[in-house]
Amino acid sequence: MKRTHIIAIVIIAVAIGMLVGSLYDSSTYADLKEALAEPGEEFHVVGTLDRSQPIVYEPSLNASLTTFTMRDLNGLSCTVHLAKAKPQDLERSERIVLIGSANASGEFEARDMLMKCPSKYNEEHAIEG
Amino acid sequence: MDTNSIEYIGEHAWAGMLGHVLTALSLVGAAVATLGYFLGAQRKQVQWSALGRMGFRMHSAAVLGIVVVLFTMLFNHWFEYNYVWKHSNLQMPLKYIASCFWEGQEGSFLLWTFWHMVLGNILIWRFRRRASTTAEWEPYVMAVIALVQVFLAFMLLGIYVGDTKLGSSPFLLMREIESNIGLPWTMIPDYLARIPQLADGEGLNPLLQNYWMVIHPPTLFLGFAATLVPFAFAISGLWRGQRTQWIAPALPWTFFGVMVLGTGILMGGAWAYEALSFGGFWAWDPVENASLVPWITLVAAGHLMLVNKRKETSLFAAYLLTLITFILVLYSTFLTRSGVLGDTSVHSFTGDGMLPALVRFLLIFIGISAALMHPDRAQRRFYVLVSLALLVIGVVLEVEVPAILLFGLLTIVHLAQSYRQGFMDSSPEESAWSREFWIFIGSLILLLSAAQITFSTSIPVFNLLLEPFERLFAWIGRQTGSSFFTNLGDIDIAPPAKPKPHYNKFQVPLSMIVAFLVAFTQYLRWRTSDFGQFMRKLAVPLVLSIILAVVLTLALGYSWREFTLVALLFTTCFAAIANIAYVPLVLKGSLKNAGPSIAHTGFALVLLGALVSTSRSDAVSSNARNMDLRYLSEEFSNSEDILLYRGDTVRMGDHYVHYESKRHDGVNLHYEMDYFAVRPRTYHAGDTVRIGGALFRARDDHQAGADFLAQQPDHWEELRSYSKRELWHAREWTPTAPGDSLFTLAPFVQLNKKFGNVAEPSTKHWPGRDLYTHIRYADLAIDPDTLADGSITPDDRWMPDRLHEKQVGDTIVTPTSVVIIDSVYTVSDSATKAMLGEQYTVYAALLRIRDLYNPERWFEARPLVIYAHGQPVAGRAAEVAPLRIKYGLATVDGEKLGINVAEAEFVVMHAIVFPGINILWIGCILLALGTGLAVWQRIKGAKAPPPLPHA
Repeated sequence: MKRTHIIAIVIIAVAIGMLVGSLYDSSTYADLKEALAEPGEEFHVVGTLDRSQPIVYEPSLNASLTTFTMRDLNGLSCTVHLAKAKPQDLERSERIVLIGSANASGEFEARDMLMKCPSKYNEEHAIEG
Repeated sequence: MDTNSIEYIGEHAWAGMLGHVLTALSLVGAAVATLGYFLGAQRKQVQWSALGRMGFRMHSAAVLGIVVVLFTMLFNHWFEYNYVWKHSNLQMPLKYIASCFWEGQEGSFLLWTFWHMVLGNILIWRFRRRASTTAEWEPYVMAVIALVQVFLAFMLLGIYVGDTKLGSSPFLLMREIESNIGLPWTMIPDYLARIPQLADGEGLNPLLQNYWMVIHPPTLFLGFAATLVPFAFAISGLWRGQRTQWIAPALPWTFFGVMVLGTGILMGGAWAYEALSFGGFWAWDPVENASLVPWITLVAAGHLMLVNKRKETSLFAAYLLTLITFILVLYSTFLTRSGVLGDTSVHSFTGDGMLPALVRFLLIFIGISAALMHPDRAQRRFYVLVSLALLVIGVVLEVEVPAILLFGLLTIVHLAQSYRQGFMDSSPEESAWSREFWIFIGSLILLLSAAQITFSTSIPVFNLLLEPFERLFAWIGRQTGSSFFTNLGDIDIAPPAKPKPHYNKFQVPLSMIVAFLVAFTQYLRWRTSDFGQFMRKLAVPLVLSIILAVVLTLALGYSWREFTLVALLFTTCFAAIANIAYVPLVLKGSLKNAGPSIAHTGFALVLLGALVSTSRSDAVSSNARNMDLRYLSEEFSNSEDILLYRGDTVRMGDHYVHYESKRHDGVNLHYEMDYFAVRPRTYHAGDTVRIGGALFRARDDHQAGADFLAQQPDHWEELRSYSKRELWHAREWTPTAPGDSLFTLAPFVQLNKKFGNVAEPSTKHWPGRDLYTHIRYADLAIDPDTLADGSITPDDRWMPDRLHEKQVGDTIVTPTSVVIIDSVYTVSDSATKAMLGEQYTVYAALLRIRDLYNPERWFEARPLVIYAHGQPVAGRAAEVAPLRIKYGLATVDGEKLGINVAEAEFVVMHAIVFPGINILWIGCILLALGTGLAVWQRIKGAKAPPPLPHA
């Protein structure tokens, strides 16, 4: 067997190892029910801001904590503590993705949040005539 | 009513017609070029090639025409066109018209196809020069390029084939776009005059109105376009059966691509760092990754081409990487344009139904590349037929995903056979101490790196691929009781929750190995080297790098637990020093041959700069002032941002920062932050300070040291008894005070009603480090249209009021105070009555206020409200300056009160110190310059090869 082939086999083995490792790092999209069922487990949760509930942000107490309520795609609501300053356009968001885990008291602790705002990337412009 | 019969008024319909015609012409031209060049190559007849050339010229003219028409439409603000309306408006400065041009999906495809056209014409010119040694490659190479142009022209045509939408056209009128067709206003002949929304466009997102958006996309797309040239040469080499001869003409193009694409990627990083609040220059965002991966494989391909130019070793890998680079460019287009990334990226485009077209585009080029890899015609034919059969079955039976997976499997088997039958015996064993051997290893490591990034970035694609099998997996799960399969049947994989640590975990060790190879490989000779001689040359750089690495490790305070970082630090130092040393040691100071050494040094410095600046970045705004909120959760105990009240001066890292004022300029609100030096505080005899609950008085004038306790016996006497007033006035002891004013930074927020407000950073640059700041939160309940330029009105000193409805005797807790509503009374003295008149009633509330963090500090406030005819008409709030709070009386209804509380205006800022980031930028410049020099030498050297440098 040639040296090149041995190297190729080693590289393929390392590659498989790395890809499995990468998959191991990946998170899972879940709804709130699943996330709340496994406190401490990291999930991506997709949903919308519940506008009927207040958004609490008290920078003079903690500039990096925003508390609000999210409704997932199945309609389930949950209090969310986001470890960030209140994003400027949170009220306008039409879709949010939280990254984090539920805690023991049934609230969601989000480390990060992705937000889709209308008209920012979405290119729908209906004109009423 | 049929819209064709309506005579519309005010439309510049000819431009769109011309655009559509030119798009069709560009498609026809590219198709003629493909066919002509194809036949010219197959039949070796120059008249067919001449037809191909004519087709390509027609295509080129048409593409130029499309560009001119689109620019004309944008310049003249013809808002009846969807593309113009969507991406530009009247207020926009003219210089950003170019940005509008490529902001949209269609414009960026146009930019891409434009660069292909330009490169194609340069190639034709090079092929047809007198004394050209590469003339016979023209039909092959140009047939491939023209074929790609056919596909891109389809992407601009915007037609439907069955249900599949092929691209979208920038020349559609507003009334022609799908969502508007059939709406009543499209039937009005003078709709342009009647519909106010059409008088002005949506405009370019102001976030994109900067010079980066002018230079970054064209550079990046030129880089992407450049990968097509080596691809076309590699395909031609396989097609002609000239297995290595394609390499020499393709090499300068490959490294040209390395230079331009690399510059484009790093410009993206610089843009993110300078103008966007991503908190750094690289975020491992899917869109960033999609441009990085082809660069990595292009670098690997270029190096393998260098090896195979001399002798045929690892030729299979050279082909594979060259072909895969262009395929990865297509794949990155698919990732970012098809909408498949969806929620995972901040700047991917929405789908617009392009996914099927893009997938097929990608699969066709994978198929062509893989088919040609096999030396045997029959096998090629077999592979192509089975692939086509799969395509047909997939489309007809609507089982496309399984068909694609089968196609993938088939391709892998086919490639393995190609290797066994075409490449295996041709590569004789090389010496372990040869340059080619280690270049080969390095290329494989780069391939690993690219594979890992692609894999993790593609996670949203896996969901698409697994979807058709969900029921099958669930069924297997039920049958076997295996929870693995049950989970697989119900899985929705998301990208890694922490992208930075995830990618760094794999990419740091890989880049460590690559840097190590970059350091020594040039010192090896081709074929074989004498190990002793090799080590003697390398000894000095090695020793120097070890010394530098140790010094840096200690200076930056890396611990041995950060072993991989220390190892990367060493290998990058080694790579930089060894490549600098290569110029005097081996090249004898010949700078014109030093291109590769300069580029390698640059590469090492990019890695070193990235390593130092990110691993030693210091979020100086962390915990600067905030109270702990540990009671909520461990996770929230660290506040990474600083809170600054207007007029406040707060210690932050190596400076005092003072929030002076805010300034309004166009759409931007600038927050002016003055920075001051930190100097030891001077205390004078008789000053009283507070430490915990105790009070001390200074014995003498002195400068504060770092530690109060150490100084206390000499300079401070403790007060055993003191008045409340003394306690009230005593300040907290602090060792330092603001010194000289140093500089001002003004991070700003762009007020943007249409696209959302955006914070943009302001950065102070020093040679050794940067201080990067941006606003995380500010009160933006301001309508930008109502603001005059210049300063903000004085009322802006306060945040918006918050109303508390309470009763006398109740308590209100605010973030800094506890308010007890003592009483409410009517102000009825004769002076007030005489001044206001009988119909007015003045109420006042007595509020007793306690500092939330100092139970000793009490204040009083008496806000007023004036009532007339049972309605509040005016009021006067009471400020408590030390607590930065304002109390107003909104309503009085017997014992029920409405109390307004407003805090002083503040902002929340994030600040990071990035040390050594200039190493990264210097590295970028060296990488581009060195690669450029190497390309230049190679083009010149194509005539007379320079003497080989000997190690």
